[in-house]
Amino acid sequence: MISMAFTMLSHDGPKFLAMVLAIAMAAFLTQNQASFLVSFLAMSDSQIRDVREADLWVMDSSTECFDQAKPLKDTAAEIVRGFPGVKWALTLLKVDAPARTEAGKLSSVTILGVPEQSKVGEPRMNIGDSSVLDERDSAVIDPGGMALLYPGETFRPGMRIRIHDKWLQIKGVSNASPPFTGFPIIHVSHSTAIQLNRAESRCTTFVVGRFEADADRGKVTREIRAATGWKALTREEFEEASSRFYMDQGVPHLFYITITVGLIVGAAFSGQTFLMFVKENARAFTTLKVLGFTHGQLAVMVATMAGIVVVLGLALGTMLAVGTSFSAATMPFFRSLYLPWQVTLLCCISIGLITLITAGFAFKKVLNLEPADVFRS
Amino acid sequence: MSSVPDLTGAVTCASIWKSFGEGEAKVDVLRGVNFMAALGEMTFLVGPSGCGKTTLISIIAGLLAPDSGTVSLFGERLSLLAPRERILFRRQYLGFVFQQYNLLPAFTAAENVAVPLVAAGWGRENAIGKAREVLTHLGLAHRTELVPQLLSGGQQQRVALARALVHEPRLIICDEPTAALDHRSGESVMERLATSAIHPDRAVIVVTHDSRVFHFAHRIIEMEDGLIRSSKKIESLNQP
Repeated sequence: MISMAFTMLSHDGPKFLAMVLAIAMAAFLTQNQASFLVSFLAMSDSQIRDVREADLWVMDSSTECFDQAKPLKDTAAEIVRGFPGVKWALTLLKVDAPARTEAGKLSSVTILGVPEQSKVGEPRMNIGDSSVLDERDSAVIDPGGMALLYPGETFRPGMRIRIHDKWLQIKGVSNASPPFTGFPIIHVSHSTAIQLNRAESRCTTFVVGRFEADADRGKVTREIRAATGWKALTREEFEEASSRFYMDQGVPHLFYITITVGLIVGAAFSGQTFLMFVKENARAFTTLKVLGFTHGQLAVMVATMAGIVVVLGLALGTMLAVGTSFSAATMPFFRSLYLPWQVTLLCCISIGLITLITAGFAFKKVLNLEPADVFRS
Repeated sequence: MSSVPDLTGAVTCASIWKSFGEGEAKVDVLRGVNFMAALGEMTFLVGPSGCGKTTLISIIAGLLAPDSGTVSLFGERLSLLAPRERILFRRQYLGFVFQQYNLLPAFTAAENVAVPLVAAGWGRENAIGKAREVLTHLGLAHRTELVPQLLSGGQQQRVALARALVHEPRLIICDEPTAALDHRSGESVMERLATSAIHPDRAVIVVTHDSRVFHFAHRIIEMEDGLIRSSKKIESLNQP
């Protein structure tokens, strides 16, 4: 029965191919766009995750995400340290500034100051050692920054970058997570970051800290909020708030639209072609009915045909999505791009369900075929 | 399904009425038809277009239900069978040869012939093996792996005949089996049909317009305007 179904299906090569490709297109588009969405949302809190040592984040009450923060007064870290349940707290300075290379390449960059003593927020390194940040006017750059500011160049220690009127030497390449903004991430020492901070007189973007092991985190953050009027969040709360901020900007809606269009167009085209295939093979199905195929056997045949199309289409679409994901991940700005298995599973279930409904309609058509029509020429 | 008694009257239709349409458009296609086909005989059903031949064989095959009257095949009243039982009955006891052959274009000749066996639950290999045997018997041993498109009309009709015979049914219904063939091919197909299908335990009903093949008939039943006009037993030396 299965081989009969496959033979009938594959006999009409163009339609068979059209159905498989339509499903593959839907599967690819859905998984690819969902993968981008998930990865971009992961980027929205990547800089928070990179400060591995901190589980307490304090910021101005108007700050909504890592990338758009209003500075605190410079005594903020001392104030936070004074709250019971806070093990330590210190200043994290983030500066957004325009940068220029010797070759004249321009870009806005995000500068993160690493405290000289504690090294909190120190980056993991791809090339070189983060201890170079202790050296005067030194910086490390992320791979995205390398690709953007030094296109086609291989890293060599001592490459120069000018921020405001100060030249820095790049002495290593970090493994900083890609930010949502896409700007290069430059790590410098805290004191260097202060020198580069021209837009603000205040030099405390965030206070990052750690809770005492036995502290009631909710109580500590509530107390900080109540006493200072600042926003005090656990790391998880701040990650969620940052993600929510970007989601609320409407960015995900573009992905939702593409995903929905991919699903509807792909599945509808495939479904329509499948129904057309059944219609064009009405005489064959009628003959099978007359020759003694039961409704159950015909259902198995139709389900097998739909199953073959959907399995091949999903396999092809998933392979393309995985391939694209891997290929894009080799590019510096997309290096955190990944395809979660949950996305693939959800996509397969959605397309499988739509195909099941289509197969149901196709089977209904087969059931409604009038066997006596077999005698009509 | 009850056991099938071995009756000489393989097919018995009594007072069959069938109409299509409603109100003013209602047409009585069959008007109290009484029909019988005997075992071991080839019964020809002849008559002008629109006289009700196709409707009658559709009812005999259980593909259409009569408005009134009874149809018995080998002693089994079709109207008493549940829809699924009717399908299983048709699968087991009936074989069909159609005017346009109705071969499945995607399948080879052997696969086409194997269809009734696959429907009956045979494994693919066994079914194809049996189909090849029947095709060989009908002189198509060298054509078993070709798709219908590559066969001549006469060969396609012989494949269709093989499909009608492969599961050894007790009633074979042929609808205009020679209409799409030239005289020589038609004659050849009818010879194969007469040689292979006629059996003491089997009845054959042939609907045809083609008077050139009437000499193969044991009985010719003539229909007109939804009624049986005549039933004539043929004593011909041409019969095998």
